[in-house]
Amino acid sequence: MISRRILLSAAAIGTIGLLTAPQLVSANSGVQIGQAAPAFTAKDTNGKTVSLADLKGKTVVLEWSNHDCPFVKKHYTGNNMQALQKKWTGQNVVWLTIVSSPVGEQGHVDAAQANKLTTDRGAAPSAVLLDPKSQIARAYGATVTPHMYVIDKTGKLAYAGGIDDKPSTRVDDLKGARNFVDSALTELAQGKAVSTTTARPYGCTVKYAPPSA
Amino acid sequence: MRRFGFFRRLHQVVLVAVLTLGLLPNVQAQMSGNDLVDAALIAEPQSIRAGQPFWVGVRLRMAEHWHTYWRNPGDSGLATEISWALPEGFTAGPIVWPVPERIPVAHLVNYGYEGEILLLTQIMPPAVLPAGEMPLRADVNWLVCQKECIPGEATVDLALPGGSGEGDPANKAAFDTARQQVAQPSPWPADMQMADASFVLTVAAPGPNGGRIREAVFLPHQEAMIEHAAPQPLQITAEGLTLQMPRGSFAAAGLPQQTGGLLLIKEDIGGRLQQQAFEYPQIAYGTAPVAQPADWAAVLQAALLALVGGMLLNLMPCVFPVLSIKILALVSHSGQGRAQMRRHGLAYTFGILVSFAALAGLLLVLRATGAQIGWGFQLQMPLVIALLAYLLFAMGLSLSGVFHLGGSFAGIGDALTRRSGTQGSFFTGVLAAVVATPCTAPFMATAVGFALTQPAAIGIAIFLALGFGLALPFLVLTCVPQLADRLPRPGLWMERVKQALAFPLYATVAWLIWVLSQQVGQQGLLAAMLGLVLVAAAAWSFGLRGRVAMASAVVLLVAAAGALYGTARDPAAPAVAVAQPGGGSAESFSRQKLDTLVAQQKPVFVNMTAAWCITCMVNERTALSSDAVRAAFRARSITYMKGDWTNQDPEITRLLEQNGRSGVPLYLYYAGGRSIVLPQILTPAIVLEHLAQLDRPQNSASLPNPTINTQR
Repeated sequence: MISRRILLSAAAIGTIGLLTAPQLVSANSGVQIGQAAPAFTAKDTNGKTVSLADLKGKTVVLEWSNHDCPFVKKHYTGNNMQALQKKWTGQNVVWLTIVSSPVGEQGHVDAAQANKLTTDRGAAPSAVLLDPKSQIARAYGATVTPHMYVIDKTGKLAYAGGIDDKPSTRVDDLKGARNFVDSALTELAQGKAVSTTTARPYGCTVKYAPPSA
Repeated sequence: MRRFGFFRRLHQVVLVAVLTLGLLPNVQAQMSGNDLVDAALIAEPQSIRAGQPFWVGVRLRMAEHWHTYWRNPGDSGLATEISWALPEGFTAGPIVWPVPERIPVAHLVNYGYEGEILLLTQIMPPAVLPAGEMPLRADVNWLVCQKECIPGEATVDLALPGGSGEGDPANKAAFDTARQQVAQPSPWPADMQMADASFVLTVAAPGPNGGRIREAVFLPHQEAMIEHAAPQPLQITAEGLTLQMPRGSFAAAGLPQQTGGLLLIKEDIGGRLQQQAFEYPQIAYGTAPVAQPADWAAVLQAALLALVGGMLLNLMPCVFPVLSIKILALVSHSGQGRAQMRRHGLAYTFGILVSFAALAGLLLVLRATGAQIGWGFQLQMPLVIALLAYLLFAMGLSLSGVFHLGGSFAGIGDALTRRSGTQGSFFTGVLAAVVATPCTAPFMATAVGFALTQPAAIGIAIFLALGFGLALPFLVLTCVPQLADRLPRPGLWMERVKQALAFPLYATVAWLIWVLSQQVGQQGLLAAMLGLVLVAAAAWSFGLRGRVAMASAVVLLVAAAGALYGTARDPAAPAVAVAQPGGGSAESFSRQKLDTLVAQQKPVFVNMTAAWCITCMVNERTALSSDAVRAAFRARSITYMKGDWTNQDPEITRLLEQNGRSGVPLYLYYAGGRSIVLPQILTPAIVLEHLAQLDRPQNSASLPNPTINTQR
């Protein structure tokens, strides 16, 4: 015997599904694992133009950052982010730190301030991209800092989500945390499929610039 | 000294000015989370009683516009954490969270709290307490955000002695308030269907009927499960409500680890939206069948179910006699031509199908025009019930031999031998369909419920399958001669069987009268039963066969119809609604009774409610049924009256209007010649406070309360 509730739900899903299909698309405007990562072109802090299209053939990491966010601070104070950057840029991975805070918002930096931060923190990204209109953040649906994305050599998205499985601002929690970016990069380097392709992104909200015309 | 004070003040002013003008953007960066949140630990009891669990709460006071987070912080943020350090043998339960607010940030949403909250935790002490004061300590970690986020932490503690476990009056208000802010356990079952891109929550809340639900939103416990900021399209049907939630982009594949959540419903109370929160600790998950409106497998399954159900209907007490009579007619004329028998079978089937299609069509049309009715709606009308009772009673009398209906009616007698007998079979089919309806509703709920959610064509097809099932046994009998041949020879036994078959019909009549007794008042019920007597008299008179007898039969039938009118005019005193009464037993509301009691200066509490009013239900569950309120009712010998406005009741409508309300809930308290209107949102404390207001003698009240009316 079919349960009545299943039948009802089935009918409801059918009808509502049809009605709301367009909304779904916009709600998940971000990105999908296994699909081509959205293209972008931006100036880095040294005035160089970086375009994702030019990076085909290389594994790319995107790291959303806001240096005053306590979650970001945790990973820099604990030397976790720098260590990851050094480990993987050393293996021909392109690491792009993206700052999407607009002028007047927390985390906003100009090129000089960004470079000073990199030096002071001993960070080692391939480049720091300034995204004050939050365009790249919008294209990727980045919600928090640090929000992490890994793009494989064919330009497809391999990982999107939080950096590890310990959502907190405590440096102590770095010990024993499972770092999803590190494991995704390790698997890609070994030619394996990425086993964990997404995890809850945690952190401070990306300080979005108001949508511009 | 004064000069010094002046300079000190000047110094402060300058400092503040410098801070405000020059350093404003940096102030927040330099603040710590501890400046923005004040944390403290309070306990509900003054002392700990061995083995008896008690409540403590971590109170967080946020600086203005800053917020901390719920267990699921939403798109960003972090839930507050409490880790306990308790004496040996003590254990702490999980945090019982207040209902959070949805806090929009850009195009994202967070769930959290501004202002002040109390995070309740239950502590279980051991059966044997250590000597002296027992220290309870908690390390509290939070993230406090406005736009920027700042983590903070504090260690809070208190110590309690062993003792009776009596409540601490100083903290009573805080705990009472905190409990009001916690969601109610949901009274309705719910389930979640998981599809590729979304979750669909179905809440079986048939009562509210969408009455005044304006908004509903689900807050899952699991982080990243859904797109928190996306709209959740709401659908309200007679069965309850469904919410569709787009799956989160960063949700882990498969089932969420935590399957519960909060259902927030906003209900329109007199033009104001009132929020109710219902907690689901866990929700059953299923994978949504790939269901399109034209999912033929599901339709076929429902149709098959309907077909089998229809066949089973033949065994129901309302239908069995009809079918049996039909078969008896077949037996008595077993000699006739096969072709003619088949014609009868087909005519009977056709009669049933036409009736079912008509009934289903009517139902679908009514529903399309917005009437919230289900199958069996005809049985909600007392007139229809009484008519069916009369009809079945007359059929029973006929079978008992009181009178003989020839020709077309029930197909007994020589109808079959006549050429026009097929017409008779058609109408027997109609009759079978009509008398079957009281039995269909309870037994066919599944198939019928499905049919009603389908496009009209499919819906009608399912109803037809039901009808075809009903017709099938007789159709098979007439179309398969070998079967008909097996029927026993006609004889006296047929007469006996016929007479015996009257009794299931009488039984059905008894059931219908019982149904009627719930729908009409005592007078109406009496009228209906007198009507039955008149029907019996008419049948007897009809059986006498003479001109005078015929005339009196007609007169008696007209009188029976008059009785029907009497039945229809006396609708029942409204049934006492959903939740059960607060103070002892509730009486159903009557203006007369109220006026009498008020005239006698007896205390009366009036609760105007409706089955579809969620706020009413919550008030009853949380306030009016609480022990404190029950006890207060008893102590004052208050008569507790409840009026059900589920169906518009003019008497209640008048009372509502007199109190300036256009709808329920309305709570009134009368005592000592005065009356008072209570707020629409009740807590035990509010009720007790209002009861106490009228305890005071009228003159001694120093401040006249504007809501107190003096009875004239």
